[in-house]
Amino acid sequence: MRQALIRIGAIVRKEFRHLGRDPRMLLAVVITPVIQLLLFAYAISFDVDHVATIVIDFDKSPASQRYLQQYEGSPFFQVVAHGSSLADVDDAFDHNTARVAIVIPSGFARTLASDAAAQVSVLIDGSEPNAAKISQAYSVALNQLYGQQLTRDWADAQGLDLSSFGLLQPQIRTWYNPERRSSDFLIPGLMVVIIAIVTVQQTAVTLVRERDLGTQEQLEVSPMRRIELMVGKLLPWTLIAFLDVALITGLGRTLFNVPLRGDFWALAVGAALFVFASLGMGLLISAIAPTMDTANIMALLIAFLPSFLLSGFAFALDQIPAFLQWISYAFPARYMVTISRGVFLKGAGFAELWPEMVSLVVYALVMLAISSVLYGRRSRA
Amino acid sequence: MSPKRIRLLIWKEFTQLRRDPLLIRLLLLMPVLQLILFGYVVAVDVRNLSTAVVDLDHSSTSRALESAFSGSGYFTITQHVASEDDLRPLLDRGTVKVALVIPEGTEARLTRGETAPIGIIVDGSDSQISAVGSGYASQIVAQFNTQRRDDLGIQVAAPSVDARVRVMFNPTLDPVNTMIPGLIAAIMMISLMVIMSQAVVKERESGTLEQMFVTPIKATEYLIGKLTPYAALATAQMLLVAAGGLFWFKVPFNGSIWVVLLGLFLFMFTCLGLGLLISLVSRTRHQAQQAVMFIMIPTMVLSGFIFPIASMPALIQPLTNLIPLTFALEVLRGAFVKGSDLAALAPQMLALVGFGVVIFGAAIVATRRRISE
Repeated sequence: MRQALIRIGAIVRKEFRHLGRDPRMLLAVVITPVIQLLLFAYAISFDVDHVATIVIDFDKSPASQRYLQQYEGSPFFQVVAHGSSLADVDDAFDHNTARVAIVIPSGFARTLASDAAAQVSVLIDGSEPNAAKISQAYSVALNQLYGQQLTRDWADAQGLDLSSFGLLQPQIRTWYNPERRSSDFLIPGLMVVIIAIVTVQQTAVTLVRERDLGTQEQLEVSPMRRIELMVGKLLPWTLIAFLDVALITGLGRTLFNVPLRGDFWALAVGAALFVFASLGMGLLISAIAPTMDTANIMALLIAFLPSFLLSGFAFALDQIPAFLQWISYAFPARYMVTISRGVFLKGAGFAELWPEMVSLVVYALVMLAISSVLYGRRSRA
Repeated sequence: MSPKRIRLLIWKEFTQLRRDPLLIRLLLLMPVLQLILFGYVVAVDVRNLSTAVVDLDHSSTSRALESAFSGSGYFTITQHVASEDDLRPLLDRGTVKVALVIPEGTEARLTRGETAPIGIIVDGSDSQISAVGSGYASQIVAQFNTQRRDDLGIQVAAPSVDARVRVMFNPTLDPVNTMIPGLIAAIMMISLMVIMSQAVVKERESGTLEQMFVTPIKATEYLIGKLTPYAALATAQMLLVAAGGLFWFKVPFNGSIWVVLLGLFLFMFTCLGLGLLISLVSRTRHQAQQAVMFIMIPTMVLSGFIFPIASMPALIQPLTNLIPLTFALEVLRGAFVKGSDLAALAPQMLALVGFGVVIFGAAIVATRRRISE
């Protein structure tokens, strides 16, 4: 046992020495996560507000001014330009200077004064579908509200009693993230993506490299047992992955004020399980891939894409087609995103998150089992 | 310059590629996989949000409001719970994403002519859902109010605003229509950067680069021979994505094919240049792979490929102009979705020319210097 520990220690030292020789590599595994974190947390958001809006008022009346004030006052629209002809709309849409255009035809005030419905056009640039959808919803709501206000004013002026004319008022509450800060939403998931990239890709590649360079045979003729070699190879990456977890959690807490509402230990245990599951995946890739190029691309396909796209980190999983939802269960990232977001934002602990943890344990065991079988077959061959 | 030497080098590259059958399969699998993932996951149309209803009013109004929500297609009512406290576990587990709370006395308030508040709770741990869900909810409630007023027949003679909301360019608002054109440019960049940088570094690692340089081959011949196979490979991948987008996802194409080809051609120089530069600065394939990641992630995040530039903070937005992919996306999306012509896209094309000249030029100069050393 003691001998085994010494041998594992030797491999760990060797791996760290490799890393130390290659300072760019070290930079990549420690600095890149930090840059990614800053980039994602600052740049990404699905929130749509201050949509650039161009206004064309052919009526130029006090009534049309009052109507336009609704848009000026709304935090959702931001009037960036006043055009004088419809060509200005085409121009603004072509050059992406505005995404919404409000066109008030002449005669707006006259129609309103004759107690009729005045027409207004709202044109929305659909080339950014998400923003367009939300712009559409908000402009419909704004016009409805304004119509009701007009009716009330009219009734008041007529001295009518509108006692039966009540209004429903939506009061929207955003749970878990009341200010809708995208960093609160993204950082817990981002941690998962970053760990997946570091662990799966690096383990896959370090093991295949040994084979590529022919040093695998040298290691095999040494008294080292295969399990010791594995542990020694994986231990440094486990440590680096934990370092990355700590770094991201620390930066998220201090720099971005992401709340940590739940049980810290649930997060730690979840992260450890996820790291093991990812290492298992890296081992599996290294067992299959014949060359480093293949290992690289496989790691990109298996680690990066699913953890980025099928984990729920930025894209809602319950909205995607069912067959992709099933596939998403085959990758550990989805469980970890649930754990991470549960602990950070929803205040969850072991009681709520045990199903995900059990899934990760099973996942890690299956991966390790398959890859050790494959490795056994390879070395006998 | 000898065409024969170039041909030999191209032939050698393809032979090397063929030696690794798994790699070839992966290279063809990659565009298909990305097409599926980006087409179905990233370009997902947020609708049918699972919704819980807490109806404390039990009135005809509350039932009408509930059916207005479920009839909209944006919300699917999956649960009815007795009190607001019961919502917590549902949202905690993620079983529902939105909750509609109709307080007791809502109908009574409305009949008295008062304003009756109703609660709409959205799960903020998912920012796309919370943004879209709250927008739709506001729209439905506003329409409900108007409908109710119309039913009461009050405003027969009142003035009102009849807003015609029209979506230009992409009337179905299907996100896939902008995702696929973007993917064509993105896949070229990924392919050229990843595979080409690896190929050049591999030669250095195995020492065959020196052997190459003692042969009579000239720097230009070497470059053409080395770049052509990978440009061809990337073109094949782009065609695969374009075909999948047009025939499987039925993405409409409104513009001119020449604008698209010109944009891609200009962008290709930037991608080739980046691939070459990466292979020059990295000594091992491992490093090259890290360098690719280092460039790829900011590109994906800041170009507007996945995350809309308009939603980024004002401070970040100027940075997106430093990313070549940003302009390639504008050209492709402009041509596909908006049918923009060359005149409208001239600034983007010029930007692509600029990036191409600087990046490809720098790569050529650096490679020549290395070769002549």
